[in-house]
Amino acid sequence: MAIMAVALLLAAWAFALVLANRPPGVPLLAGGAVLEALLIGFLIGGLTQMAGSHREFARAEFVMYLLACVAIPPAAAAWGWEERSRAGTAVLALAFLIMPVMVIRVQQVWAGPVG
Amino acid sequence: MAETGDRAPARSTSRGFGRVLVAVYGLFALAATARSAVQIATKFHEAPLAYLLSAFAAVVYVVATVSLARGDAASRRVATVAISIELAGVITVGAASELFSTAFPDATVWTGFGSGYGFVPLVLPFVGLWWLRHTR
Repeated sequence: MAIMAVALLLAAWAFALVLANRPPGVPLLAGGAVLEALLIGFLIGGLTQMAGSHREFARAEFVMYLLACVAIPPAAAAWGWEERSRAGTAVLALAFLIMPVMVIRVQQVWAGPVG
Repeated sequence: MAETGDRAPARSTSRGFGRVLVAVYGLFALAATARSAVQIATKFHEAPLAYLLSAFAAVVYVVATVSLARGDAASRRVATVAISIELAGVITVGAASELFSTAFPDATVWTGFGSGYGFVPLVLPFVGLWWLRHTR
């Protein structure tokens, strides 16, 4: 889905910047803002979907994962931006890289119990 | 200007590579806190011991994250203690969850030596202690 593709593209871009020894810049941050907009849509869509469902699934966990998805990129941006070296860029790269994992976890919780 | 953590002033634990390390610790603080909050709020009676350990792990990660991020002399001591507890915890809970799997019906971050999180919880305390030594 779109979120995973965007997140992986941003992660690849950020890792390339880390290898090029660049501090976090505005273009990368703008890319992160696009991802964040998609994640907010994901949160709203997920909550709407949950409200309309009578199925048994781990609702509290579902909401937690959705909220974490939305919280991680801004937190990483704030923390990474302060460091004007490639380590700051690496923080953003990591945040982008884990977003597909987070989205998959949301989908797994939605689908039902997992081990 | 390409500055690296090695040349950062005061050898702070939150500069350079430490920036990334704190971010990873922060991620685990978030994961462990959210996980234990859900467990305790929705199904505490199912496995009280495992869920209390889960909450304990969350506290350890939060303390380690904050103290590594602060990086002053007192925080370094707090971080050393917290990360040592983390190391003991992941090994103890990891071993216990292998031996007595019925007591751990639902994963904590330390279950199976952190296998649910790509074994990062097992590696992280070693990196944390190394970083504290390295920046001393």
